[in-house]
Amino acid sequence: MTRTQIIATRLALLALVLAAWELLPRLGVVNPLLLPPLSQVLGVLGDLIGRASVQEAVAVTALEVIVAFLIAVPLGAAAGIVIAENEYLSDIFKPMLFYVFSIPKSIFLPMFILLFGIGFQQKVAYAAFTTGFVVLMSATAAVESVRADHVLVARSYGATPMQILWRVYVPSMLPFLLETLRISMIFNFTGVMIAEMYASRTGIGHLIANWGENFQMPQLFAGVIVLSAVAIIFNEAVRALEVRCSTWRT
Amino acid sequence: MQHLANLTELRGGAAEPAIAVDGLSHVYAGADGGVAALVDIRLAVGKGRFVVIVGPSGCGKTSLLMMLAGLRQASQGSILCLGRPMPLPDPQRVGVIFQEASLFPWLTALDNIEFPLSLRGVPRAERRQRATAMLSLVGLEGFGERYPHELSGGMKQRVSIARGLIQDPPLLLMDEPFAALDEQTRMTMGHELLRIWSTTNKTVVFVTHSLTEAVYLADEVLVMSARPGRIVDHIEVTLPRPRRYDMMATSLFGQLRDRIWQQIRKLPDGA
Repeated sequence: MTRTQIIATRLALLALVLAAWELLPRLGVVNPLLLPPLSQVLGVLGDLIGRASVQEAVAVTALEVIVAFLIAVPLGAAAGIVIAENEYLSDIFKPMLFYVFSIPKSIFLPMFILLFGIGFQQKVAYAAFTTGFVVLMSATAAVESVRADHVLVARSYGATPMQILWRVYVPSMLPFLLETLRISMIFNFTGVMIAEMYASRTGIGHLIANWGENFQMPQLFAGVIVLSAVAIIFNEAVRALEVRCSTWRT
Repeated sequence: MQHLANLTELRGGAAEPAIAVDGLSHVYAGADGGVAALVDIRLAVGKGRFVVIVGPSGCGKTSLLMMLAGLRQASQGSILCLGRPMPLPDPQRVGVIFQEASLFPWLTALDNIEFPLSLRGVPRAERRQRATAMLSLVGLEGFGERYPHELSGGMKQRVSIARGLIQDPPLLLMDEPFAALDEQTRMTMGHELLRIWSTTNKTVVFVTHSLTEAVYLADEVLVMSARPGRIVDHIEVTLPRPRRYDMMATSLFGQLRDRIWQQIRKLPDGA
């Protein structure tokens, strides 16, 4: 298939899904109370976007996502690198980390509420906690991806430890770390959402949970569309960075 | 071992050898007192000579090379490269070429060749000029902007040789540099290496498993025993230079190869 054909097929599929969304509820195949027609959802969406309270909720969520990300990534990466590089720390912490990593982080949410309340701090702390683990585990793997023979070559050409760090470790780990950024953004966003839907006074997650409880389906679907758009923007922003930095990959 | 001691005298006596190793032994630390890797290694490599070390796997050839390069320290004994010990790597005295080409995949061929110079902060224009000259020395004009994954195995090893030569070290240590290549490429690369060697006047210590490669390349072959490694034979390769592929069919070539083979076969672990 040519590129044009692929794009055309994608658009056709999208049109099909949107058409089904519009027609199935209208024809009575699907209960319109559960799945309102697309046109109705878009009407509500236009109305919601104009409202100050919704705009504020989006801004709050976005800020929580960004702050949690900026805390989790450097902390998780630094901890992961230190643990992987130090044999003793590796022996002690690695098994424990693997065990803790396997526990669903959402069960700790009540503790975060007790510690931080249900405001901004709690969202950021919980999301950073779940994301930090992902970053830490990937950073450990990234350090292990540095090839011993590359380090040996650099040493044989008289590289200092700092030169080995910047000229061998960092470029070796970069593709891994960029991949990690993207995956951790997904975990990070999920963390904020879960925290907002569980207990909150604002944020898109909070609005969506509320609309669901009150059976306001058009609002709920409009909220899902807004949230999806924000999530995709964040993900693509990280991916654009990844593509730019990894032309030499493989 | 007597002939080893005589070697320097034969070659003009007082002239200082490029490499002088004396009483070198190494024990790898372990729970039960450690493993002896090298025992009482003595050798002298004359300036400008091409010396090949052969021996079974695990005999400590690579360890010995790492010690000559200053990348590892021996438990005992002394190493002098151009009259000075090697407590640390000294890339301007000793260049090392590894078994895998070990190029950095995030750098182009030229950037890989420049790497040793960039560590020392040589200006970019000078680096580029010297790297380009090296690239044509190893026969890779026009491939400078390629990344390692765009090069064949032989080309990668050529880049690695260029990287080893760019600081113009008088000593070149090569650890099975062609082991990962197919037989044809290996022969071509060996021939290329001799061409480069004859134009640059370097002293080369070359480690290999291949007896044919050893005889084809060497002025002298040192045979090492299985662990703990010691030098059990020293063979002068009297084939004329420049070497040609058809020399492999001569009886002298066969005899030399056979002598090395007999030595290795005698070893407890075989080869």
